[in-house]
Amino acid sequence: MTVRRSDTGTVILDGVCAVEDAEPLLQMLQATPAAVVDWTQCRQLHTAVLQVILASGIAPIGPCGDVWVKQWLAPELPQKEAGG
Amino acid sequence: MSALEEQFVTEARELILQATDNLIALERDGGPERVDSVFRAFHTLKGSAGVVELPAISIMLHAAEDLLDSVRHGTHGAGAEIVDAALACLDQVSRWVDNFEAAGALPSRAGEDGRAMAERLRSLLPGRTGEQSVLPAPDRLKEGGRGALPEWVSHLIAAERDAMTSRMPDGPMLATAISYEPLAGCFYNGDDPLQLMQQLPDLLAFHIEPREPFVPLADIDPYTCNLRLRAISAANRDEIASIFRLVPDQIQIFGVPPEALPAAAKHITPSELSLVQKVIEAQCELLRVPGRTDGLAGCVGAAARVAENALRHGRHLHLADTVGRAGALALAQHDAGPLLSALEATLAAFASFPSTMVPDGDGRPNTTATSERPTDRVLRVSEAKIEALVNLTGELVVARNALSYSIRQFDKDLGREVARSIQRDRDAIDRLVTELHSTVLQLRMVPVAQLFGSFPRLVRDVARQLHKKVELVTHGETAEVDKTIMDRLFEPMVHLVRNAVDHGVEDPEQRRAAGKSEAATISIAASRSGDRLLVEVTDDGRGIDPAVVRRTASEKLILSPEELTALTDEEVVDLVFAAGFSTASSVSDISGRGIGMDVVRTAIEQIGGRVSLESKVGIGTTVRLDLPTTIAMSRIMVVEAGGQSFGIAMDSVSETVRVKPDRVSTIKNNDGFVFRDRVVPIISLAELMNLPGHKRDAAQSRLLVVMETAGRSAAFEIDAIRDRLDVVLKPMQGLLAGARGYAGTTLLGNGQVLLVLDVKEILP
Repeated sequence: MTVRRSDTGTVILDGVCAVEDAEPLLQMLQATPAAVVDWTQCRQLHTAVLQVILASGIAPIGPCGDVWVKQWLAPELPQKEAGG
Repeated sequence: MSALEEQFVTEARELILQATDNLIALERDGGPERVDSVFRAFHTLKGSAGVVELPAISIMLHAAEDLLDSVRHGTHGAGAEIVDAALACLDQVSRWVDNFEAAGALPSRAGEDGRAMAERLRSLLPGRTGEQSVLPAPDRLKEGGRGALPEWVSHLIAAERDAMTSRMPDGPMLATAISYEPLAGCFYNGDDPLQLMQQLPDLLAFHIEPREPFVPLADIDPYTCNLRLRAISAANRDEIASIFRLVPDQIQIFGVPPEALPAAAKHITPSELSLVQKVIEAQCELLRVPGRTDGLAGCVGAAARVAENALRHGRHLHLADTVGRAGALALAQHDAGPLLSALEATLAAFASFPSTMVPDGDGRPNTTATSERPTDRVLRVSEAKIEALVNLTGELVVARNALSYSIRQFDKDLGREVARSIQRDRDAIDRLVTELHSTVLQLRMVPVAQLFGSFPRLVRDVARQLHKKVELVTHGETAEVDKTIMDRLFEPMVHLVRNAVDHGVEDPEQRRAAGKSEAATISIAASRSGDRLLVEVTDDGRGIDPAVVRRTASEKLILSPEELTALTDEEVVDLVFAAGFSTASSVSDISGRGIGMDVVRTAIEQIGGRVSLESKVGIGTTVRLDLPTTIAMSRIMVVEAGGQSFGIAMDSVSETVRVKPDRVSTIKNNDGFVFRDRVVPIISLAELMNLPGHKRDAAQSRLLVVMETAGRSAAFEIDAIRDRLDVVLKPMQGLLAGARGYAGTTLLGNGQVLLVLDVKEILP
């Protein structure tokens, strides 16, 4: 799964997150609005997925694995630094 | 190109033709049905452009539709202005369809050109209020054209000033601002707006925001796009328009003048360039250390970061991005390979910079120009014809099976009966194969209507340009001809029709003075006669005056005065086909460069046709084309000379005769004989082909093939006539492609390759 929940409850975006990942991500965020989203492994982010992140107002733990998003979008988002 | 796209190309061409015809008819006689059919053609065309997602075409056709709609509802007459605009719109679509077929995409400026054309069409709308328009395109264009920059651009520049400063290339520059508001349903169309933005070269600043404030998470529809993406790029407008060519209705593009931009940080010097280079080389060294497994991730990550920063410092933004991506990939794969090769590619790109060149921030090679691909023509075939072909093939299989059975019988008892039965089956197969072949050839037959279709437009445009009034009448559009012939007939026909309007038809005043109606009539008629197609182009213009032709021919030294006096008036008129002849006193840009008619004759003869001309002064001119209907089959005569067989096209053979030696007279070293009141030279084919001729008995009669081609006659002396065949002539290929004197080759039943002579070429 490109969108999954880890054992600790972190929502992980992994690999190429395509348009169809928007819905499961939204459901997870609706279920746990305070969830931690980790997008460091996400290699490519679809606009629809990004829109869900933007709409939720959460700050994913970064940096984003999608280099373009990391460079051009991350400054626009409230951001937490990755642990390691 | 997908099947859908191929179908679009074919259909679009047909619809363009149909719409053009209807527009011209509309202009000529008006009438509500005409408007309706024009409207329908535009509407269908717009629909198919929508299916293959060519919004630039849709935008334009939408505007044309609005305009035609106002004509349809009587708010507006179908004046020449409107017809001109609609035709120009069709021309644009036609050009784009060609581009689309060749390159699989529209040109990069298509979106903007389409909007400009839409604007032009809408400007013709009565009291244009823009109400009919669902597209805000024209207003957007106005906003984007000139004048004040939208506020967001300066806001974005202000917010990103520092970052932009470091990304700015040197020198004076004009940046481009893009505002992209994807449609709410764009995700369903497979759009990924972010992906499009990522394709922007030389990005300077980027901002994404919701169009409407986001609703609470519980109520959100993840598949409705509510975003607005804005960016400033150092790339030029065309490049950007080409990236967004599929969504021209969703973007606005603005030119940002240099004074609105922050100044570049500093000048980059060659020494800095070499510093960047050294840093990257060092990273390569580091990555090349073999057998490293521990700490590979750290090493790759560090190398990627250092190289990326160095490149960014040197303002090789695109290269920096590439290296960044390669670094991420290398990390994901736990393999330094991708990063290393990206770095090596970067160094190679550096090496190709001239030493004084300032990097342009774009390490990519220019997108190569779309290579010219020969147009792939689609043949539309009626179902009935295919069905006939399939049935025939089925019968052929049955007949073949019967033959196999007969052969088994033959094995059992070597009876005569069996042999006869095999013979019968063979005959059946023979018949079917013949039929099959002719049916297959039928597949290539197309009605000449497809050819005639382009002439109403041509006549209209040329006549309008010359201020003449011309009516075009066509007959026999259903006559069918091989597609190859029709394609090759197009250019000569264009010449003829242009000539007729330009030279044949008089000015309205002259016509009135001559007691004719002001509007001239040009008729194009096709008819089948056996296996020939006759096409006649007739005008009721001034005709060709033999006296003028005589004068011109002697002025242009085409013939000597003696030769000219020897010619009859009809023969003189035929001189217009001579190379370098043009009767028009001044060269116009329509015709009359003196290359017209001889080109026509050559082109028609190349496809095995003949051209003749008939003209009466003051009454008009008729050009008659006599054409084969198929190019695939040719009837040849197989002759033998010097121990070899040759084919001679029957088209050029007028007779075969046996001549007694006493009828042959020798003039100098050449033999000749009188045949139908003309002296025909005799040429030994064996000698001509450099083959050993056999000793001739002086008293023996000689076998001659009399040929007539290009107005000359000659007789080939041969040893024997072997056969008459219908063959498929293959052009000379490979090593023989350049061999002159041969029309092609064909395979004989015994497997022998027969060379078919090009009589016109080998006649001395």
